Amino acid sequence: MVNLTIDGKQVTVSKTATIYEAAKEAGIYIPVLCYAKKLLPYGACRVCLVEVEQMKGRLIPSCTTPVTEGMVVTTMSDEIRKVRKTVMEFLLVNHVLDCPVCDKGGECDLQDLSYEYEVVSNRFEGEKFDLPKDEINPLIERNMNRCVLCGKCVRVCDEVVGYGSYSFINRGFETKIATAFDRGLNCEFCGQCVSMCPVGAILPRPFKFKARPWQLKEIDSVCGYCGNGCTITLGTKDNEVQTIRFNDKTGVNDGNLCIRGRFGYSYVNSDQKLTKPLVRRDGQLVETSWEGAMQAVTDGFNSAGDSVGIISGARLTNEELFLLKNYGKALGTENLDHSGGECYKGVTEGLKETLGIQASTGTFPQVENCDAILSIRSDFYETHPVFGMVVNQSVRRNEGKLTVIADKLGKFTKLPNARTLLHKPGLELNLLNAISAVLIEEGLAKTEGVEGLDALKDALKDYSADAVAAATGVDAEAIKQTARELAAAENAAILLAYGLPYTAYSKELGIAAANLSLLTGIAGRQGSGLYLCGEKANSQGAIDLGILPGANGLGAQQMLTDAAGGKLKALYMVGEDPVVSYPDRSLVEQALENTFLVVQDMFLTETAKKADVVLPAVSFAEKNGTFTNAERRIQKVRKGIQSKGEAKTDFAILQQLLKAAGKDVPVDEAAAFAALAAATPGYEGVSLEMVGPQGYVWGGDILKPETANLIPVAGGKAVDSKYQLLTGSALYHSGTVSTKAKGPSAVVAEAYIEVCREDAAELGLEEGDLLKLKAEGGELKAKVKVDRRLPKGVFFAPYHFSDMELNRVYSGQPVIAVEPVK
Amino acid sequence: MTETAEQVAENTVEEIDLGPANKVIDKYIDMSGNLMPVLQGIQEEYGYIPEETVHLTAERLNVYPSQIYGVLTFYAQFHLEPRGKYIIRVCMGTACHVKGAGRIGDTIKERLGIGHAETTEDLLFTAEYVACIGACGMAPVIMVNDATYGSITVQKTDEVIKKYKAMG
Ligand code: SF4
Ligand code: SF4
Ligand code: SF4
Ligand code: FES
Ligand code: FES
Repeated sequence: MVNLTIDGKQVTVSKTATIYEAAKEAGIYIPVLCYAKKLLPYGACRVCLVEVEQMKGRLIPSCTTPVTEGMVVTTMSDEIRKVRKTVMEFLLVNHVLDCPVCDKGGECDLQDLSYEYEVVSNRFEGEKFDLPKDEINPLIERNMNRCVLCGKCVRVCDEVVGYGSYSFINRGFETKIATAFDRGLNCEFCGQCVSMCPVGAILPRPFKFKARPWQLKEIDSVCGYCGNGCTITLGTKDNEVQTIRFNDKTGVNDGNLCIRGRFGYSYVNSDQKLTKPLVRRDGQLVETSWEGAMQAVTDGFNSAGDSVGIISGARLTNEELFLLKNYGKALGTENLDHSGGECYKGVTEGLKETLGIQASTGTFPQVENCDAILSIRSDFYETHPVFGMVVNQSVRRNEGKLTVIADKLGKFTKLPNARTLLHKPGLELNLLNAISAVLIEEGLAKTEGVEGLDALKDALKDYSADAVAAATGVDAEAIKQTARELAAAENAAILLAYGLPYTAYSKELGIAAANLSLLTGIAGRQGSGLYLCGEKANSQGAIDLGILPGANGLGAQQMLTDAAGGKLKALYMVGEDPVVSYPDRSLVEQALENTFLVVQDMFLTETAKKADVVLPAVSFAEKNGTFTNAERRIQKVRKGIQSKGEAKTDFAILQQLLKAAGKDVPVDEAAAFAALAAATPGYEGVSLEMVGPQGYVWGGDILKPETANLIPVAGGKAVDSKYQLLTGSALYHSGTVSTKAKGPSAVVAEAYIEVCREDAAELGLEEGDLLKLKAEGGELKAKVKVDRRLPKGVFFAPYHFSDMELNRVYSGQPVIAVEPVK
Repeated sequence: MTETAEQVAENTVEEIDLGPANKVIDKYIDMSGNLMPVLQGIQEEYGYIPEETVHLTAERLNVYPSQIYGVLTFYAQFHLEPRGKYIIRVCMGTACHVKGAGRIGDTIKERLGIGHAETTEDLLFTAEYVACIGACGMAPVIMVNDATYGSITVQKTDEVIKKYKAMG
């Protein structure tokens, strides 16, 4: 700690603090423009100048100068005021000053500082900037005439996002911020640059002329898309979510968001949302009253007896899932499941059998300080973009060593010094086995207290680095280096994302990753961790709450198979659109055809169109409750707007169904939380009061494994086909809901098939051409996207889009053998 | 989408042989601070920096294309467009200015249709207006590649242009 005096006040701060940070801690105000908490010190604008007695003769930038013992700082004097005012005058010389029509008005640092320093006239005169605006992209408007060259956008896109859109170009008066070749922005559209810009030079286009900042009501909630669980602050007006506000004070994401969180909100206001219950009469879905709908549901389920199956999505709140589980009991069925019933098995079975737990062992912030990170699949970044930014910062700031086991390149593989184990599709397991084999062989494995070592050793005989290298196409030395780094690291993390398009080998991957976490000793070690991250906002909650088949119950896939075969009479689908997103569309369709089907959703989805009764539900922005994110953090979801029409929260609907079944129900969400906390392992003793601004991590920062069983798993088999198709998540989308949101859809509107340049050249394909692929089970057609990240012979198609009917050829296999058709 | 617009842009760019650029990068790849020498080397090979080589350099040196573009626009030595075989430098320094450099610039514009930093379609000439080139004694001055022409007039300018045109 260091002691210093600021404006006569004694201050004690950590020795790594800057003068600005010390002042801030002491509640002393120093203006800043180019400084941002999350960025490295920069010191360009000179607004934060102060006097330091020990450095007489010049003014000192407080944002870059570290504190020293005994320093005496003055933050305001005539000279300081004069210099700051001059800085403002200089900035205003070329600035367009179109505040009346600038959306930043009211929260613009330039405006506020001009006001504060009473810059009523300007001693300098100069040309005003007259640069064209970036009108090409749909989401971010850049007006460089308003730019003050603070460089925050350049820095955040590099230091935090790792994309690097911007740079300073030219020199002198011509200096400005531009993209490569000064084109329109074409990037991840995460909007970090929007939130960093202190002026109105980078603004969210969808929010243009929607509201002045002070007219907005702000409500902190949790992003409804992925398991990262970012805090999003809804800016509401006229009972609509107008924008997402910057908030770096609450939650795990430090104010960072991805395109989905920042720009994917419009669906909550959509007039396409269902507002009335529907029932099928004479083959048509027609509007009905809630009473009518409830009666139809009750009658239908009654006549099915206990031959009912319930399949849920993982975007319901914990409270809603709790009621859903109770409703299953009330119906007397153990056929309860979520998310297709397969993809999460890495957690529910893989981790359970090895480590005796069913969740990630660490928390996200710890990953920032890891020296070694192993990411299984490069798609991790696409499914959990903001966690991806944590990895980026770990790699960039702390020189953490990142290894990516990947079947295609991606942002992770491009990070500085990233090692990519680029393998033939479907062989992740082989590489994980090989890394384990190296650890054991080279005597690096931590084997104390670990069960099953001999059996594993035996099974790994076929997975020597050399053998796996030959089978996967990866360099053997790279495999060995990865093992050595993981073993040597003080803090290490292993990351694996799961979700609907990643059902193949899900359990085995969980086991192989857990084996590795045991052999490296990172499972349960402070600062380290094994992260199995669910795709949806409340994937972890669904596992915690036990939205899983009971001992005698069927899982989702079996329910669908039985339903298709006429063995299950009724299905209740809550917030899930299996027609689009589950493997094997024909099976799903047949299952829905053959049963009494109740669908509860926001939209008339493909699945809802086949229902006998449709119950209109609402979005996360219209409800209260909690989500549990992929690091076990329970966070509060808060209602920002009132639902339109007669749509209800899933909570309210389930309350009604339970009552109709003659059961007691919690009166509200808070009561439901108390009840579920008492009944859910890990949640015992947690109260809503404990769920603060940073949420509450059940199990603590480190969840200790309860067992340490090594379990052998066989590797995958390469597919023998010249052309192979992979599916997965695309960065801009999450599940199927984002396709109903304007932001993500403005950037990626429709399905596509990604093809590498060599294949494109060989097949005579160009960007935008229609490509038809033949596979077992059917055909697939979509526009071509020519890219640099795929190996030759490998295609990629995202799974979010209904029109593509990808699941006509995708039935859960790791790799789809395909044949391009002319 | 990320790569799409890049791609579209690239597809409209003339196909060039990346071999020489790859060789330049090979030479410097293990050196620290290699961006400048790589870019200089590429310019030497192609006479300018073709866009495709920027993407190649970005990929191989693992820097952002935007950063490279920043460097390329900061230093006057780099050219993003193909340049003429003959670079006509018209001095616009004080001495030359006083002695009518403006008229010389206008003459070149009239005869060849190129102003500052512009290149004729046949890639024969590029004009460049520069600051004092240190030959004030013979102002006004122009240079064509390494040859200096002092006390230049409109008529002499015509002759110089004619001479280089004839050389092709
Ligand atoms: S939106 Fe994100 S990726 Fe795009 S320029 Fe801004 S910070 Fe970079
Ligand atoms: S655009 Fe905004 S953030 Fe970027 S340099 Fe200009 S003022 Fe700063
Ligand atoms: S989708 Fe995931 S990463 Fe993106 S903002 Fe939402 S929670 Fe964060
Ligand atoms: S805030 Fe310190 S120099 Fe800009
Ligand atoms: S001003 Fe032209 S040579 Fe000096």
